[in-house]
Amino acid sequence: MIKVEDLTVQIGGRTILNDISLTIPSGHWTCLVGPNGAGKTTFLKVLLGVREYSGSLQDNGVEVYRNHKRNVAFVPQNPEIPTGMTVSEYVALGRSKVDGWGNESTKSRKFIEDVLIQTQLYGMHQRHVAQLSGGEMQRALIARALAQEPQLILLDEPTSALDLHHQISVLNNIEVLKSRGVTVISTMHDITLAAMYAERIVVMQGGRALLDGKASDVIHSAELRTAFDNRINVYTLDSGRPVIVASKDESNN
Amino acid sequence: MKNETKGAGIGQIWNWKITAACALFLFLVGMLAISFGPIHLGFIDILKTLVGAHGLEGQDRTVLIDLRLPRMILAALVGAALATSGAVYQTVFRNPLADPYLLGAASGAGLGATIAITNAGGNIYGWLPIFSFFGATLAVMTSFFISGRFFAEPNTLLLSGIAVGSFATAVQTYLQQRHSNALRPVYNWILGELTVANWSIVSWSSVYIISSIFVLVTISKKLDGLLLSDEESFSLGIDPNRLRMIAVAAATLATATAVSASGLIGFVGIVVPHLVRGLTHRVTNRSLATIAFVGAAFLVLADLGARTILSPAELPIGVITAFVGAPFFLFVLRTRRVSH
Repeated sequence: MIKVEDLTVQIGGRTILNDISLTIPSGHWTCLVGPNGAGKTTFLKVLLGVREYSGSLQDNGVEVYRNHKRNVAFVPQNPEIPTGMTVSEYVALGRSKVDGWGNESTKSRKFIEDVLIQTQLYGMHQRHVAQLSGGEMQRALIARALAQEPQLILLDEPTSALDLHHQISVLNNIEVLKSRGVTVISTMHDITLAAMYAERIVVMQGGRALLDGKASDVIHSAELRTAFDNRINVYTLDSGRPVIVASKDESNN
Repeated sequence: MKNETKGAGIGQIWNWKITAACALFLFLVGMLAISFGPIHLGFIDILKTLVGAHGLEGQDRTVLIDLRLPRMILAALVGAALATSGAVYQTVFRNPLADPYLLGAASGAGLGATIAITNAGGNIYGWLPIFSFFGATLAVMTSFFISGRFFAEPNTLLLSGIAVGSFATAVQTYLQQRHSNALRPVYNWILGELTVANWSIVSWSSVYIISSIFVLVTISKKLDGLLLSDEESFSLGIDPNRLRMIAVAAATLATATAVSASGLIGFVGIVVPHLVRGLTHRVTNRSLATIAFVGAAFLVLADLGARTILSPAELPIGVITAFVGAPFFLFVLRTRRVSH
């Protein structure tokens, strides 16, 4: 369980995260939603343990800054793309925590191959990552995170570069991870998808967490609408699934 | 790609047989270099002499032990140092054009050498390596000091290296203009030379160069992580700042030593890493030991050319490295592009 108390992050005198307190349960999928600049990505980096903060952020009772006890995978929105590295080499980097750097066991190499098949990258694994399309690169990132066999996975907009087919495929891959007990925390612009996959949703705006709760409750909350300046509409399909779309004009509300 | 069978896994990322083959290649090139020259020495005789059995005697022995052997070893050390640090700088700065002289080491050493040449009368050559070593180290440390933000942004260090380098070059040019008699020795030094090689230079430079390369090869597997963003490498279990610092410090020590022992020898630090990557189709830093061996062999061969092509006159070794290296490099770049 991750316990966040009075978490504040300042960068260059600007307050990026402001007094956040919430609890993230283990083994669940928690999604951070909110407009651009809400502080979602910074929150993920703090959860990774790479960014300093004031207040407290404890994972199973241990402060996470440079001290994570769990194997945490991080899937960034804008990764650094190494020139000349092949897809299989790139995915193999994910095994570094399991086997030690540069010591892939035969078992690991088989594991990497399985992950490549799972993410539909097998067949292009000898290509350079720099030559991949945006969607393929996104899948390579997911593949590397899967290869890491993480206990906690942090994903920054994992579906933004993907077409509909691959969106579902990637989200299903993440769901499989979750079914194995992995805690999933992601940001997602598509709130409909967030509501479909995540059990919990945290609504963020201007560095604050406005609301934190069960996905089905949060979707119909006033806070979600406030976070997006009342510029969204929530519809419910016959199946009971909520669909969240942007409204063209405020007067439509 | 059609021939690949599923179930076999993805294959080795780096094959250590390549490294072993390059070490053997270096040995053969080294033997070739000490056997060739105005006086030809036989392979068998050389080997006998080296293992302490009855081999060469008299003048032949002197040529081997006091002239060719230290010179060949120094060339190998300098080649290995420049190639390895070039590869490491390229990784740390995520910039394929980064070279070992980037952080001001070259201009710092140049300034140090010029100060030695212009201010000392008589035999200054004993002092030259010491002055250039201090110059190189001082310049790189200044670059570090100025770019306080290094840990946030490696490119800041790169830029301050360029600034410090330009400043040192300006001072050097000023000194040269004031002491026109120093122009020629400074120019010779800048072109790089191994003629001054002796066992004393070999022994002190080998300590620094071999220990730096040892450190770099030890951390080489982790260096691949620096090709990713800091958050990504952190999540894979690396402390990117610490790793970068160790890598840059070791690479700089190797470069400063190489420059002070042999002057400025261009092109090795860029051409050799790319050559190895191009021929093996692997960007991984696990090839670092191979890059060291190939760099050593490359410079030993270049020095062999430098002292035999216009024999008895000598060509500056930097001329050979560029003359041979540039076309070969372009050839590799071209074939590499075609094959992908």
